[in-house]
Amino acid sequence: MSDFWFEFVEITQTIGDGLFFGATYALIGIGFTLIFGAMGKLNMTYAAASLAGAYAGLAAFAFVDAPAPVVFLISALASGVLGFVAYLTCFRFIPINNHLAALMASIGGLFFIDEMVVHATDGSPLTFPALFDDVMFDVGPYGVRGDLLFVLAMCVAGTLALLYVLYRTRLGLATRAVSQQDVAAQLCGIDVHRTNATTFVLAGLLGGIAGAMTASAVGVLSPLITVPLTVKGLIVTVIGGLGSIPGAIAAGLLVGGFENFFLYFRGVNERDMYVLLLLFIFLVFRPQGIFGSGADRD
Amino acid sequence: MLELSGLSKHFGGVKAVDELDLTVNEGEIVGLIGPNGSGKSTTINLICGVFGETAGTVRFRGELMNGKPPHQRLRAGLARTFQNIRLFPNLTVWQNLWVAQNSPQDVSARGFLPRWFGATRRTRREIADLLDLADLGHKDDELASNLAFGEQRRLEFARAAATRPRLLLLDEPAAGMNQQEIADLSRRIHRVRDSGVTILLVEHVMELVMGVTEQIAVLNFGRKIAFGTPGEVQRDKAVQEAYLGASDPGDGSA
Amino acid sequence: MSYYLGLAQLIGIHTLLGLSAYVLMLTGQLSLGQAGFFAIGAYCAGILTVIFELHIVPALLIAALLAAFFAFLVGFPALRVKGLMLVVATIAFGEFVRLFFFNLSWRVPRDGIHVGPDSTNGFREIRYFVANGWSAWEITLFVWTFVLLVMAALWWTDRSRAGAVLRAVGEDELAAQSVGLSLTTVKVTAMTAGGFIAGVGGALYAHTATYVDHLTFTVLLATFAISYPILGGLSSVFGTLVAVIFIQGVLVEGLRFMGDWRSIVFGLLIVVAMNLKPSGLFDARTARLLRRAVGLRGGEKSRA
Repeated sequence: MSDFWFEFVEITQTIGDGLFFGATYALIGIGFTLIFGAMGKLNMTYAAASLAGAYAGLAAFAFVDAPAPVVFLISALASGVLGFVAYLTCFRFIPINNHLAALMASIGGLFFIDEMVVHATDGSPLTFPALFDDVMFDVGPYGVRGDLLFVLAMCVAGTLALLYVLYRTRLGLATRAVSQQDVAAQLCGIDVHRTNATTFVLAGLLGGIAGAMTASAVGVLSPLITVPLTVKGLIVTVIGGLGSIPGAIAAGLLVGGFENFFLYFRGVNERDMYVLLLLFIFLVFRPQGIFGSGADRD
Repeated sequence: MLELSGLSKHFGGVKAVDELDLTVNEGEIVGLIGPNGSGKSTTINLICGVFGETAGTVRFRGELMNGKPPHQRLRAGLARTFQNIRLFPNLTVWQNLWVAQNSPQDVSARGFLPRWFGATRRTRREIADLLDLADLGHKDDELASNLAFGEQRRLEFARAAATRPRLLLLDEPAAGMNQQEIADLSRRIHRVRDSGVTILLVEHVMELVMGVTEQIAVLNFGRKIAFGTPGEVQRDKAVQEAYLGASDPGDGSA
Repeated sequence: MSYYLGLAQLIGIHTLLGLSAYVLMLTGQLSLGQAGFFAIGAYCAGILTVIFELHIVPALLIAALLAAFFAFLVGFPALRVKGLMLVVATIAFGEFVRLFFFNLSWRVPRDGIHVGPDSTNGFREIRYFVANGWSAWEITLFVWTFVLLVMAALWWTDRSRAGAVLRAVGEDELAAQSVGLSLTTVKVTAMTAGGFIAGVGGALYAHTATYVDHLTFTVLLATFAISYPILGGLSSVFGTLVAVIFIQGVLVEGLRFMGDWRSIVFGLLIVVAMNLKPSGLFDARTARLLRRAVGLRGGEKSRA
């Protein structure tokens, strides 16, 4: 009985940690979904740019020994800049109806960013600063890691800030107008290119936070996680329903908890296979995602 | 041959088609007319299975069509053209017609042979007839995207005929045509009908509708407000009101 | 000389990979999972010749059929979604296959040593060609026999009704349905054919490389697979071949002096190419111009 109890606590603890960490997936998912909502396109550079942002923050840490909050801030800003660059290079000048070319260009951008990071760091993992990693709260039989709690808090703050911008400012109104009817928005005098660029920057800022939080929660930053993070971000986007922000949040937490569950039972090497299976289950039984309605969109 | 009963399609609160009953008998040319937004195109899309219906049934040759995807309805003999032409732009004229021939003998192993061996003598003869029907005999190797607008319309008409339909639904085939072209079109419609195909014509151009059809159904706000011969329909009060927009046609409002 | 033969083999194998994506793209589908089918072909053929000690030809065909079977299975759920959703689904499939082989360990004793896939350490003993004394010339000829067979089959199909059907679905799905084509049948068939071709490529790859591990079959390889037909255009199979020669022969080999920086150039090149020529470098118009420029024998020349 006590063995069972012990194991039960262990499992729920793992899943709980996963839910906390899943907040970073949710942020990456929101970034993908935001851009999909605005342009109906996938920005494949997104996860790579987010991590590259974290690397920029890390550079500040390594060279001028910046404190962790500054590191996080620089991560977000750098990723925002990369978001703008990605828009210019992969979307701005490619015909709006050519989804294929934009997709390819952004995949090219993904490898470009990834390789740049590999070259700058010789491909080896680097330690990333964390906040509150020595704090531990006890809640009944469970322990809540201070750094994970901080990750969750930052992700929540980032999401709330985004929602504020989207629903309470003129900028957000323009963004939503473009995503719903870009021709009509243009006729109302909204500059579509500028609005799209803003969306990319907003998503980038959010991605920088996600990248920094991912690195901070894991403790190290490595270019090896670029593709897995991209894939997980895409999975979160699809499971949540393309274009749905609440869906991305729910799916991010779901994926985080789910993957830790399988981490516990099947080990780190097999963990991601089950996350991919989760995606296939959704594709077969609920292709429109948790909250989505955009399954039919190209 | 085609029987719609209680057919309805609602988009949110908008009743695009509302409890439509319509029967088309074999060998007839029936017109479906109505002002803009009266539900004509939606009706065609419901008959072809592009949209699912909210309520009601579509029966074709006694067989219930509800829930069947477009390609199965086509195989039952329901072919169509589109309001905005939808050809395969980067296939040649000949290939556009070839692809539309979908009977089992066309899709057999010969389908994997190049045109010179893969097309049976019957296929060739039929396609030659269709090219003649569309007046495109000299352009069979041209890409569809290189055709002029009128030629593209003719090709689409021939492509629908190439599927060997029993009922052909024409969605505004005369849009953008001049007098001469309309006259050619009505000749073409009669020629197809005489080969044993029933025709349902959705059209704005009254000249064509009044000229070729034998029965006309008039839609307004998704409801059928009149049915009869061209002469009867022209004299109908409700129809005149609907077209002139004089007043609300009785209970037809949504 | 053996260097150039090795390059010729690589170009042949990548042509197969590109053609597997080409078939799908004819029907308007973009798959980033071709590396997965390639991996299935590679591992399965390797296992058949190493563990079951089969002859290479049946091993290759069985491996290709297995890859085709998986492509068929993936086809159904993946085709419920389209466009960008299909891209995500196929990326996920490719990653799944890679992780499967990352975890696969199947070691059996042969001649005093253990052979077979060894999870993270890869599959190191695919020595069929060496063990049977094939020369580099013979291997190259063997590879290109399959490349030419597949190219001929696709060239042939393109002139048949089946080819026109594939393209019709790619051009306009609604119109294709309304002339009676079943989208599911056509797309799943294309997916299966693509899986088969990728499987052949993977099987040949495993045997020419003698060593495979999961890191070979990443999203990067899948990106190569689709970039060939995108660069080469969809007007004919030769476009894909030209694109492979251009990327693998000219860029990857020609930029060897740049060392590790080559992969950066690859990413940058895609970005630049897509901005300048969004519909492919050798799109229909360019292809027609080229054909006119070199006369009618243009296609034959590029094959030599």
